[in-house]
Amino acid sequence: MSCYIAACGAALPERIVTNAELAPMLGIAPEWIEANSGIRERRWVAAQQSASDLATAAVRDALRQADLNASAIDYLLGGTLSPDYQVPGVAPIVQRKLMDCRLIPALDVRVGCAALLYSLQIARGLLASNAARTVVCFGAEAQSKGLDLHPRSAELSMLFGDGAGAIVVSQQPTTGLALRVEDVLLATDGSFAEDLGVRAPGSGNGARWRDEERAELFLPKMNGRTVILHAVRKLTEATRELLDRNQLSFDQIDWLVPHQANLNLLRALGKKLEIEQDRIIVNLDRYGNTSGASAYLALHDAQPRLQPGARVLVLAFGAGFTWGAALLRVCPPGARGACAPADL
Amino acid sequence: MLPQTITNYLQQTAREARTELPDHNTSLFDAGLLDSFSLVEFVTLLEEECSCQVADAELRADTFDTIAKIEAYLSQAGVAV
Repeated sequence: MSCYIAACGAALPERIVTNAELAPMLGIAPEWIEANSGIRERRWVAAQQSASDLATAAVRDALRQADLNASAIDYLLGGTLSPDYQVPGVAPIVQRKLMDCRLIPALDVRVGCAALLYSLQIARGLLASNAARTVVCFGAEAQSKGLDLHPRSAELSMLFGDGAGAIVVSQQPTTGLALRVEDVLLATDGSFAEDLGVRAPGSGNGARWRDEERAELFLPKMNGRTVILHAVRKLTEATRELLDRNQLSFDQIDWLVPHQANLNLLRALGKKLEIEQDRIIVNLDRYGNTSGASAYLALHDAQPRLQPGARVLVLAFGAGFTWGAALLRVCPPGARGACAPADL
Repeated sequence: MLPQTITNYLQQTAREARTELPDHNTSLFDAGLLDSFSLVEFVTLLEEECSCQVADAELRADTFDTIAKIEAYLSQAGVAV
């Protein structure tokens, strides 16, 4: 059974927040932000805008690319670190906002920045089991609302931005993008659950869901240097394993589409994988780290560069730690029906 | 003592940062010798030079924060220092 990413959509808030605007709030210099992260600006949602608003717009964009209506969706998978509510998840709210979406299963995939890869593997399984013919996956963040805009959190709050991306996953390519999903590799190491995440509200923090005296638990926490060490190691190992089992070498990868965490991470990763920087898709300079939406937005922005036959490696690493790699192949334009390896 | 190549790397980094190699208990991050990017490079060098792989559980920035901590790690890992 073949599996394709048949379209890729995106949605971004209108408001652009430059380093010059953000830096004074965080007590740092604008130049320092760019030098230490590669980020020049990011988008922030408006007060009345939520993750589900962005997600719905991104899903609609992806459906438009695929020339499909929301009624064609058999399964909806969504990832976010900044849901509209703690319960229910964001996916049911997006199902409602799509209006013409049927009463399909709508599921949150809570793996932070690795959301695209985990959702893609689940989608692949749903297609293979005939539980669905068309699956839509999305990642959406309105995380600017949860940032601590104070010098004590400068190194973290300078990184994050808002946005959403979505993909249509189906058994056959449609009129839009046609990326055949060749392989997906996923892994988790829960030993580092406390090194990256937001702990409260939650049942793991003592006697109460909410302990207002422990305000820091409600804010994002990241041991950044430790995260980068593990991200580079795990993503390098995952890439090697994925390429080995597909009898491929690094130089046969045309484009690396990584989660946009930090330019330092992308440079270190490129060096380890011996992939030149100009083959790495980078958009964090404009969007910052959009967490669960990041790999979706990178894939969306990569589209104009993807030539038929190109091999694309998507990498993501997030809270948990959770991480993985997906190997994609670009089908010829206008491919109808199954895009066989011989077509490439 | 650290292996000579590791010491050389830190001395070179200190020169580039226009500072001096700090004492054994001063943070290499605070001293400007290591950051999130160079830390990856440093750990890779350490693993190559010492023919070891830092275990996942030890792969934390704090393990490499000071020269004393790096020496302690290498000693505990059975690498001669």
